Amino acid sequence: MQTGLSRVLPLRTAVSTSAGLASAAVNFLAAVEVAEYVGGQSAWLAILIAGCLIVFAGANFAELNGFLPSAAAIRVWIRRGVNDQVSMVSSFIYVLTVVFVIAADAFVLGRTFSRAVPGVPALIWIAALLGVVTWMNFRGIKVAGRVQDINAFVLLGTLTVFSLIVLARTPHLSRYHYWALGPHWFDAVALGIFIFAGFEWVTPLAEEFQDARAIPQGMFIALGCIAIAFGLFSLALTVVYPHAAALKSSLIPQLLVGMRALGPMGFWWMTIMTLTTAMTTFNGGLLTASRFLYALARERILPRWFARLNGRLVPANGLLALAGVSLVLAVVVYLTGQYTVLINAGAGVESLMYAMSSWLVISLRRREPARARPFHVLGYPVVPALMALLFVGLGVEALLTPARAGGIPWAVIFFGILFIAAVVYVRRVVPRIKASSRRPSSVGSLS
Amino acid sequence: MTLLEALEKFVSECNQNQRLREMNRDWTRRIQLEPEDTGDLHYLVSDAGLVSAGRGPVENPDMLIQAKEAILTAVFSGQMTPTEPYNAGELLVKGHQDDIMRLDILSLLIWGE
Repeated sequence: MQTGLSRVLPLRTAVSTSAGLASAAVNFLAAVEVAEYVGGQSAWLAILIAGCLIVFAGANFAELNGFLPSAAAIRVWIRRGVNDQVSMVSSFIYVLTVVFVIAADAFVLGRTFSRAVPGVPALIWIAALLGVVTWMNFRGIKVAGRVQDINAFVLLGTLTVFSLIVLARTPHLSRYHYWALGPHWFDAVALGIFIFAGFEWVTPLAEEFQDARAIPQGMFIALGCIAIAFGLFSLALTVVYPHAAALKSSLIPQLLVGMRALGPMGFWWMTIMTLTTAMTTFNGGLLTASRFLYALARERILPRWFARLNGRLVPANGLLALAGVSLVLAVVVYLTGQYTVLINAGAGVESLMYAMSSWLVISLRRREPARARPFHVLGYPVVPALMALLFVGLGVEALLTPARAGGIPWAVIFFGILFIAAVVYVRRVVPRIKASSRRPSSVGSLS
Repeated sequence: MTLLEALEKFVSECNQNQRLREMNRDWTRRIQLEPEDTGDLHYLVSDAGLVSAGRGPVENPDMLIQAKEAILTAVFSGQMTPTEPYNAGELLVKGHQDDIMRLDILSLLIWGE
């Protein structure tokens, strides 16, 4: 008798999911911000260093994923490795980074289309495209996994090929300094983390893979692909446009590289890639986060309102709430132009989460030594401990980085408010929700 | 209550509910339950909306659910939401996310929040 699962995902999907979730459209602007901090052409080096450090975080996630493969991922691991309250606070903040990325991608999308199609206001593009994806999710229409797979590979392939074309066409490449990171190298590496952020969100798919090695292998291959593609992109960009500050004000670096590589065809190709990348970010983010809110409501951590399903079994209230918050944040960011706050906050939250993953590896090895682990981190406990300290430092640095020199570090204020709100909610509101919950018999909540 | 009794109760609730049968008419799945402590395999099968259960292995399953037998019994008898042990890492599932979500929704619609 065959006892293996009838449907399992292949390694290819682990790679494309990991690469696709990390490859948001706002990464183009993050690459420019990294270049600004290193002062030019050595941005690729800061991105490569960030990628190398993230390999260690990837090893942590690989061990945790093998230890307890669950869609609830960090919610489970932190609960078992630290405690339930820390798990809830971390989960709330973590899921909010999904909203940050959706809002930031909406900003990039708006800027890109206001340049490509100037006749239509950017806010209309943002509202329309976010609305389309929300409607599709609301109706239970799913973008096939294969479409997302293809988009991830095409985006990374496009960045690599276009960047190589630009570099090949640029004369006198030897006059630039490629190895001088400058005094702000730590800030640059801290922000470079953002380009890889989200690679670990493939771990909630653990239940769909039969082979426990697929997710670790997929994450490491994806990290390599992202490092090559965005490293080359930043290199091509800074070689052609050496003044990072001027580049930052353009807000369409990917279109500039496309134009320089293949002329108008390259410009439009990158416009389409920006559209498909932002749409897959919206889709993946809303789908995952709305289910997460549903699970928290089922666990009586959020009000039961978030567990309400529509007739197509979609957690409609959670979906609409997320889409609404994302839209409001996107509009605020568009009107103020403060997209770097989202990049810096995202980089900070992700780095702190990577530090947490190191802590969890150590904590769970002590608490549950007998449980099987198909993957073990190297150099335990010294390497995870060092990585925990390093990622805390990078996270704090990213949060303290101001949008412009000498400015207010709004990211740390933004993060602080979210953290305090999450702590207050977990300590004051959750106990009331749990206490008031009664389990009635034969009562459904399908609206 | 034994696990088999809990499953039979769950099956009875599913099959008596016309709305659930309509909802699951396009859902044909084989679910293997693996109690970690006893190793006493059970199964649930949804065949175009009609659900059945029993003891023993099921061929070529679409989902595997692993937990202690007491937890599986509590979940399928409605004494506990699946999300509670799931988010505590005490209930592990292998299978497609849509199927996992569907099973949770069935539990929600039968036993409430």
